[in-house]
Amino acid sequence: MKRLLDIFLNGLIVENPLFIIMIGLCSAMAVTTTVANGIGMGLALTFVLVMSEVIIALFRKLIPASIRMPIFLVVIASFTTIMDLTMKAYFPALSKSMGVFIPLVVVNCIVMGRVEAYASKQPVLDALFDGLGMGIGYTWVLIALSFVRELLGNGTLLGMQVMPSSFSPMIFFILPPGGFLVFSFWMALSNQLRKKILARRKLGAAGDGCRTVPTSSVAEKA
Amino acid sequence: MKTWQMIKLGLILAIYTIVGCVGLAFVYNSTSKTIAARQASDLQSALREVFPNATSFTPADNVKSSSSAVTFQSAYTAQGPSGLLGMAVQVEGSSYGGATVLLVGVSTNGTITGVKVMENKDTPGLGANAANPSYYVDKATKTTFPGQFTGKKVTDPFVVKKDVIPITSATITSRSIASLVQFTGKAIMTALGSGSSSQTPVPAVPPTTAERPAAKPVTSTVKGVDILETTVTTSGANVISATAKAKAPSYDGFATVQVTVSADGTITNAQVLEITDSQGLPVLAPDFAQQFIGKKTSAALTVGSDITAVTGATFSSRGTAQLIKATADALFMALSGGGL
Repeated sequence: MKRLLDIFLNGLIVENPLFIIMIGLCSAMAVTTTVANGIGMGLALTFVLVMSEVIIALFRKLIPASIRMPIFLVVIASFTTIMDLTMKAYFPALSKSMGVFIPLVVVNCIVMGRVEAYASKQPVLDALFDGLGMGIGYTWVLIALSFVRELLGNGTLLGMQVMPSSFSPMIFFILPPGGFLVFSFWMALSNQLRKKILARRKLGAAGDGCRTVPTSSVAEKA
Repeated sequence: MKTWQMIKLGLILAIYTIVGCVGLAFVYNSTSKTIAARQASDLQSALREVFPNATSFTPADNVKSSSSAVTFQSAYTAQGPSGLLGMAVQVEGSSYGGATVLLVGVSTNGTITGVKVMENKDTPGLGANAANPSYYVDKATKTTFPGQFTGKKVTDPFVVKKDVIPITSATITSRSIASLVQFTGKAIMTALGSGSSSQTPVPAVPPTTAERPAAKPVTSTVKGVDILETTVTTSGANVISATAKAKAPSYDGFATVQVTVSADGTITNAQVLEITDSQGLPVLAPDFAQQFIGKKTSAALTVGSDITAVTGATFSSRGTAQLIKATADALFMALSGGGL
């Protein structure tokens, strides 16, 4: 149980897909202009990630290594389409505002990366918790980004006016440069926290290594 | 052995794909009705907004888009208590952040009865205000950006910052929507006006003349200009004019024009058939191409001096003007060379 909890917590800060592994940034930048979009995209990706990881981990011994990529894609694409259709039917406003980024979850590096690096080699339960941890790690970052961007860039939160009417919205935060700025500040904060967690976890042993991705290969981003 | 291995892998992949497809089929079946119902009710409420007095809407199919950059998704004629009220068209065109879908309603007398932004992917806080019901371009009268089109004539100029109030910091969105409304309005008027008239005006040809394809291909010396087809008009044995369709890259897309040049080197007809530039739509207005009619092919025909660019589409105007000039030159050269 402790092991599963560790796997889950791992995705939140220590091995956060956006801040540490640094994959899947483009969709994160693009959709975080409003908090509603951030929550929607985060949950949508978490759903696809968890389902794909579980299915792939379940069938990992039945997937020939030479054709694993197309099989991963078939699985991911199926879940993405299921999620896309469900959103169109029941959350049309959200689906409209996220536009092309929902179908693009198919090629989101986080899903592909976790399936290839983790789920295809680990038991089902581990994969389930890894998917949940990574998905929620992604979601909280999106919410944190969009919170600042919507508040400062539009003066609203979840579409409701929260800033006084004398406040003039700083459009800069809605535009991509503002997004990168906010991203880097959150990243600095998260990395500070990560250092403390790692220091407390083990004084001396193993140190800074990621569970599945060695820090030296972090450069391999998409 | 190797073939057998490949077949085996293919079969495995097929099994995964089949399972995935069957799963999707179930999800599709259970959601497609909800999705269709939602889209239909969205459209119905938008139609009601555009024609509040209409008693019924009938699908129509006689509105044709003359540009490949603009798609008319559906068209409806609005029937009122006392007959035909007008027509509404759901149109898809491009704006700053991608495709934009509008519903444009035009009454039988050529007045825009309403514009509704159905889908827009422009920058939130800027261009997306086009679809924001509480964003007013005129705070005093509480007029939204699409709301200001209501009551305009389709023959109005639709120039942003002149007769169209733009959204602050979203000039491109404002321009794209304004020209899309104008384009759609004009197409609706054509459809309403003469029922099934074709959009391409046929050049006036005296009855004693005949038309035939050119005897030899015409090519342009200008790089990138592709002359697609050439026809010549003959009177007896004499070739009196030649017409060519030509295509060339413009600002960020392609422009297609049709040019007719008489044997003495005068442009007798010019028309922009198609433009795929992202902001090039205004160039399709006949007023632009008509500036060339009557000019000699030997004239410079440059935008700024003897040709006036369409406001908001300077680069597309330039590209199109160069293409018309190149086509006219090529035609005149071929005409004077003889043997067409």
